[in-house]
Amino acid sequence: MKTKSIIRKVLLSTAGLVIVVFAGIEFYQHRHYKETVVIGDWVEVKKLGDYFEGIQGSVNDCNVFIIEGDEPGATSLILGGSHPEEPAGRLAAWLMVENARIQTGKLIVVLSANRSGTTVTRPSGAYPTKYTIPTSWGGQTFRMGDRWSNPLDQWPDPEVYIHCPSGQNLAYVDIRNLNRTWPGRANGTLTEKTCYAYMQLIEKEKVDLVIDMHEAELQYPVINTIVAHENGQELATLVSMMLTDFEGFSIGTEFSPKNLHGLSHREIGDHSDAVSLLFEAPEPFLDATRGITGEKQLLEGKDEFVIKAGEHGLLFAPMDENGWPIDVRVGRHTSTILQTFESWNEYYPEKLIVCFDVPRYAEVIKNGIGFYLKNHEEADNKTIVFE
Amino acid sequence: MYQAAGIVLGVMVLIYIISLRFKLSTELAMLMAAIGGAVSAGHWFPARHIAEGAITYLDINLIFISATLFMNILKESGGIAFIIRSIIKTFHKSRVLLLILLMIILLIPGALTGAGSVTVLITGGLVAVVLNYMGIKKIRIAAIIFLIAGLSAAAPPVSLWAMMTAAGVNMPYVGFFLPLLIPCVLGALFTIFFLGWKGTKIDVDKAFKELPSPPEKMNWWRIIVPFLIFFGLIFIGRKWPHNTPIVGMPLMFLLAGLSSYLLSPKKLKLFKISADTIKQLLPLIGTLTAVGILVQIMTLTGVRGLLAIMFITLPTFLVIGSLFVFLPITESVLMYGSAAVFGVPLVLLFNTMGLNPIVALAGMSIIWPLGDALPPTAIIGRLTVDVVGPKEKYSQFLKTCLVPSIVIAIIGTLMVIFSKDLGFLTGI
Repeated sequence: MKTKSIIRKVLLSTAGLVIVVFAGIEFYQHRHYKETVVIGDWVEVKKLGDYFEGIQGSVNDCNVFIIEGDEPGATSLILGGSHPEEPAGRLAAWLMVENARIQTGKLIVVLSANRSGTTVTRPSGAYPTKYTIPTSWGGQTFRMGDRWSNPLDQWPDPEVYIHCPSGQNLAYVDIRNLNRTWPGRANGTLTEKTCYAYMQLIEKEKVDLVIDMHEAELQYPVINTIVAHENGQELATLVSMMLTDFEGFSIGTEFSPKNLHGLSHREIGDHSDAVSLLFEAPEPFLDATRGITGEKQLLEGKDEFVIKAGEHGLLFAPMDENGWPIDVRVGRHTSTILQTFESWNEYYPEKLIVCFDVPRYAEVIKNGIGFYLKNHEEADNKTIVFE
Repeated sequence: MYQAAGIVLGVMVLIYIISLRFKLSTELAMLMAAIGGAVSAGHWFPARHIAEGAITYLDINLIFISATLFMNILKESGGIAFIIRSIIKTFHKSRVLLLILLMIILLIPGALTGAGSVTVLITGGLVAVVLNYMGIKKIRIAAIIFLIAGLSAAAPPVSLWAMMTAAGVNMPYVGFFLPLLIPCVLGALFTIFFLGWKGTKIDVDKAFKELPSPPEKMNWWRIIVPFLIFFGLIFIGRKWPHNTPIVGMPLMFLLAGLSSYLLSPKKLKLFKISADTIKQLLPLIGTLTAVGILVQIMTLTGVRGLLAIMFITLPTFLVIGSLFVFLPITESVLMYGSAAVFGVPLVLLFNTMGLNPIVALAGMSIIWPLGDALPPTAIIGRLTVDVVGPKEKYSQFLKTCLVPSIVIAIIGTLMVIFSKDLGFLTGI
């Protein structure tokens, strides 16, 4: 009996060890996978830590890409990867960094606003750890992430998260949510310090316009929309009208609620001179009723269960068998950014931002995202940046 | 997709039943069902998913371990016996006062930590002894402790079901205090008086003869200091959240336990107490780990989505009318995960219907914990029965819980139905 028990324990321990080893390898590879960015010689690369020492050398000391035009004008900060489980925001930022040219003004782009969140996937979420965008040279692979910072970088959580400076109570886990920790704290947690670093960047670079790119589940009411601080409401409304009229897709506007704290659209507007906007595109992958979870669903955005929810009036965005492919979601973001710049120029002709060579909605859908990604294997090493 | 997810669900259920037939424990049966489900969906060796799912409830497991260690140290030092003797001595004359006092003692730990198990582990055993001397049957005592522990977990300021669901729908955790507090207090009052009113007067002499004697040097300071450390750390974290390092609840409990160890009037065998604590909690930790793996595989294979879509697309009256059954069942399988899996679509559904999402979620939050006594997991139910030790079968314990459970479920359901009218409770 005792021998049987020992054999059983040895077998189960061995099975456990095998799982730990194989899972550990995959966790390690995910956390340390190096994404490539191919930049032109007109792109300057700084680190977030250049703006705030407190973040230097940390996992969130991410790359800050700066593209400056020949003529002075407005400065815009584009944030991708605030929530790394929403890949369209990161990919749209990627297309900006690898393609954008600026004639007037300055463009600052961050691909992994919460880099820590790109190194982990959600327990019980069954996310893929990576996804690959097809390209002419085979494909480019990106890290899939989570909504929250990696607990390996920030842990433990408090039993309730009290936002600074408002004192508002939020779910404990949101202390690792970059879009609940604005405007951040210099001596706070990693996520709070990260937001603080961006606030320093906004101040030091005299940023006029901040755009934070997101995706949302279709069952969430704030979707297919631009959420605007009151200082950007007119701009957002004009952008919405222009896109709906000329780009072939509709996008609404929402006003940033004054009593909902920690979000970029509220706090950046409240604590800096910048106009702050947040874009939401639909991502069926995030819906709680989604079916089989994996890379295919993430990229194609097709899901029968979510369609069913739509048939019962439970969605806030349309959903059919065509789904919401990644090209559509990224195209919405790039066009919304470009239209925001164009509308900005109408409101602030004395402080222009003129950007070109970035594909718009129709182009991204027609050619695919991969068409606009640069092949790092053919690129000069000097032009490759690891994200 | 329906067919694929349906087949996987069928395979999982089948393997679960077969595993139980082969006398595997509930935890291993869940693990086998998860692996079987993954394999049937074409994921041959889902090592990462198993490992990732297994750590879903890591934080909660750490709280269980550290809180239980603290209480076991206090118990071994003679502190628990000292407290019980003092309560009996002071309050034995007034049953009403004593019942209300015990209810409050039960409500506080769970309200502060969001975990009913902490209530059971920290104050459950202590309250059980006092209730026993009040002439209440052990089976009723177990029901009282389980039900109020569940309500304490739902009570403000920390209600994990409400918080996790609110986080899932990007809703701030604001306005929940009264919508959670009122039904929890009402439910707890009904429970303790319904199950605890009938009994006998406390025979103080008999109680003192039977209760173990605490060491001579035991005094209130030796007991209060560890609790002061624990509650003090919580208070400081709340009062000065931005000037206090985040230590986390496991470390808070460990510090309280360490102080209890250092203040013990007799020498304690710390290693043995620690080892016994882990042995005591192993089934609980095993279940939570297995549930995490199960949820991960259910999500991976679409089974989670299938179950969610089937429920939320039922006719509205059926959705609301069956909450009192559905929520406890989901809790019994997924535990807190049920808030993420079903709470989120339900709150969005209620929001679409024009109901007040905060009050409706608060109503749901008091129904969820009822499922913690139901198989397959029955975590808190099993824990309570272990702590109280009634001789009757587990099914008898469930029957004893029935009437107060129905009342709590009715309160919760009414809160959902009338959430719009009760919106003033949110103060927003």
